[in-house]
Amino acid sequence: MEFERIDNIPTETIEGYRVRPGKPLPFGVSSVPGGLNFSVYTSAGTSCTLVLFSRSEASPLAEIKVPDHYRIGDVYSIVVYDLDYEDLEYGFRIDGPFEPERGNRFDKSKVLMDPYARVISGRDEWGLDPDWSRAYQYRSRVAFDDFDWEGDSPLEIDDADLVIYELHVRSFTKNDNSGVKFKGTYAGIVEKVPYLKALGINAVELMPVFEFDEFENSRIHPDTGEKLYNYWGYSTVAFFAPKAGFAASGKFGMQMDEFKQLVKELHKEGIEVILDVVFNHTAEGNERGPSISFKGLDNKIYYMLTPEGYYFNFSGTGNTLNCNNPVVRNLVLDCLRYWASEYHIDGFRFDLASILGRDPWGAPLSNPPLLESLAFDPILSSCKLIAEAWDAGGLYQVGTFPAYGRWSEWNGKYRDTARRYLKGDDGQLGEMAQRVQGSPDLYQWNGRSPATSINFITCHDGFTLADLVSFNGKHNEANGENNSDGGDDNHSWNCGAEGWTDDAEINSLRMRQCMNAIGVLLTSRGTPMLLMGDELGRSQHGNNNAYCIDSEVSWVDWSLLESNRKLFEFTQSLINFRHQHKCLRINRFDHEGSNYLPSCSFHGTKPWEVNWSAGSKQLGWLMSCDDEATGHMDAVFVASNVAHYACWFDLPRLPDEYQWQLCYNTGDRDSPSQANPTQYHENGILVGERSMTIFAASPRET
Amino acid sequence: MDVSWETFDNWQVVRVNGQVDSKTVGDLRDFIDTKLKEGHPVALELTNVPFMSSAGLRTLLTLQRKTTEMGVDLALIGVASEIADTMKVTGFYQFFTIHESLQSLSPGVSGGI
Repeated sequence: MEFERIDNIPTETIEGYRVRPGKPLPFGVSSVPGGLNFSVYTSAGTSCTLVLFSRSEASPLAEIKVPDHYRIGDVYSIVVYDLDYEDLEYGFRIDGPFEPERGNRFDKSKVLMDPYARVISGRDEWGLDPDWSRAYQYRSRVAFDDFDWEGDSPLEIDDADLVIYELHVRSFTKNDNSGVKFKGTYAGIVEKVPYLKALGINAVELMPVFEFDEFENSRIHPDTGEKLYNYWGYSTVAFFAPKAGFAASGKFGMQMDEFKQLVKELHKEGIEVILDVVFNHTAEGNERGPSISFKGLDNKIYYMLTPEGYYFNFSGTGNTLNCNNPVVRNLVLDCLRYWASEYHIDGFRFDLASILGRDPWGAPLSNPPLLESLAFDPILSSCKLIAEAWDAGGLYQVGTFPAYGRWSEWNGKYRDTARRYLKGDDGQLGEMAQRVQGSPDLYQWNGRSPATSINFITCHDGFTLADLVSFNGKHNEANGENNSDGGDDNHSWNCGAEGWTDDAEINSLRMRQCMNAIGVLLTSRGTPMLLMGDELGRSQHGNNNAYCIDSEVSWVDWSLLESNRKLFEFTQSLINFRHQHKCLRINRFDHEGSNYLPSCSFHGTKPWEVNWSAGSKQLGWLMSCDDEATGHMDAVFVASNVAHYACWFDLPRLPDEYQWQLCYNTGDRDSPSQANPTQYHENGILVGERSMTIFAASPRET
Repeated sequence: MDVSWETFDNWQVVRVNGQVDSKTVGDLRDFIDTKLKEGHPVALELTNVPFMSSAGLRTLLTLQRKTTEMGVDLALIGVASEIADTMKVTGFYQFFTIHESLQSLSPGVSGGI
């Protein structure tokens, strides 16, 4: 027979609920036979009350003051029996001193969200106006962690083999012409999996999906009357909960299942899921911001505070999470472990990651414990860890981010160099050569590898690719900040007219420049990342910071798939080309190349001779390795001319048993991608103005 | 919500009336645990179920596992389109055979022996 455990018998009744002392771990809510275990940490709080609600009700169902003897250390925990899991919402009231100058902001009149809550209600459907009169806005719920994964597990694709596609969940399918049923949702992405598969990318990087409030700082544009939102969501409310408003099933509280289904369907097609995670700050803002959770639970533990008790603002958004406090560090670890294990997430990209390496007073640490813990964590050991290696407080660590052999970086220098090179700026060849090789100048000295470098030319921050070649300056008036927001250092060139034009020559040049950018990106070593829609020529009409725009400006316009089909096909073909050619994905700086050729060599209009002078505009790169599977040499030669005139390039000679095939020529307006490349008989090629050609070596038929 | 049992051809039909949510789902679970007969395919008649909460949908999955173990067919009948949508986006749908009405059922696999 089965014995009932004596540690699972209620010991007393409070407010009509049968309860007993809980277990302090795990934090948050967990189920025990017949009841739920609640556990919450506060170091300076003096009492804790568990507040229970029926779903969506304004007033509590019950308030259970946790008896003082239920506290162990700084943790209050209690088991409550006979609760209706599905109908339940809960929060905490913590009493304690309100003395901001000492860092304490306790206020027992506030109901606080559980920082470990895995499901949040209150913003169940995107854009539904919240009832701000309610005291408890973001409401913790109990999660069903069950899901039938049917054998799925994280894909563990080699970093060097990834082609990442950065996308915003809502923008990707919200447009009426997306052709999907569940527009703007996780399920909408599932409907587009065949598209992603056909494009050939093997990882999506989702812009923030942790629960955030699109109504945070929401406002009306003074001129246009358009409603502006916290659209991108770089402002976390709940670290453990997927955003309900991105789920078609959010109004039924099933966002967890829907998100898992998305991961499962992407994995089935060999596509990894990387999450853009924001741990540098929270949605609670500064001293004027709302008290949602941390502020009322233990303000001085969770936030970096000045000696006077004000909030440090290294994030540029009001507060800074105190990530190197051991308690906060554990929260971050718990969170990522949860996403990796419960959601099968393949990797994380850390927004403004340099903040995670600052001490509680903001000084950069030489050996930041959080970054080290993440790098050596047993559960995260196969997850990609990608740093945005700078912050808004002036720390810039591209090349010097504390990596522990694990972290890779968004290579902002790749972006800037490639942009300057492509528009033909003087003096770029030397640095471009570094970037093409995987940036050894940044990553070789400290023993890192080319795939440390996440190469990108565009990302959500800044111009889309089409806008990069259509605008000299940003046009952010729609953001309602008099065009003062967004970066000014765009390295963009409009090709001869600002914005849309009927000039066929200009439009043709723009198309070519888009292809040149994608060509450089996909033939560089390191891990390439594309921005959603760049393969279609997606525009934001010159807005380089559309963080608040929920309209066609941000949404992918799927009609471009027809109008810019050549660009799509070029991108698709070149992604496939990258997958075919191992020599482009070599992940060692000391790789010795093939039997015949060095691993990576540079060329000018004459093979093996580069004109490195400042005014030089022609660069060729030749990459090579031996393919052990076929016994053949793999070699790719790129001849790139960023001058405004055409140039003849002599081709590097191949050993007799190999021949060059011309695979791409962005100067060939009609067929930039050669459908069936054949032997190229010439000894050289005329590379058109601002054009590039890409050749591959193939064994000569005997 | 109420639950009743009937037969149609060789199917045992579990007919549900009313919404299935956290308040009522226990009755459905109890019915499934105690009233199902071995060896007969199961048709869950949901034509008169306007809403099914997460707990309700999870009960369907439990039933699906149970019938698989019993070696009999399971069919859902008359699933409202909104419930079907929720089942689709959460991945539940793929585990079920769904029919508009009992009349469109062909004889089910009785399984067992």
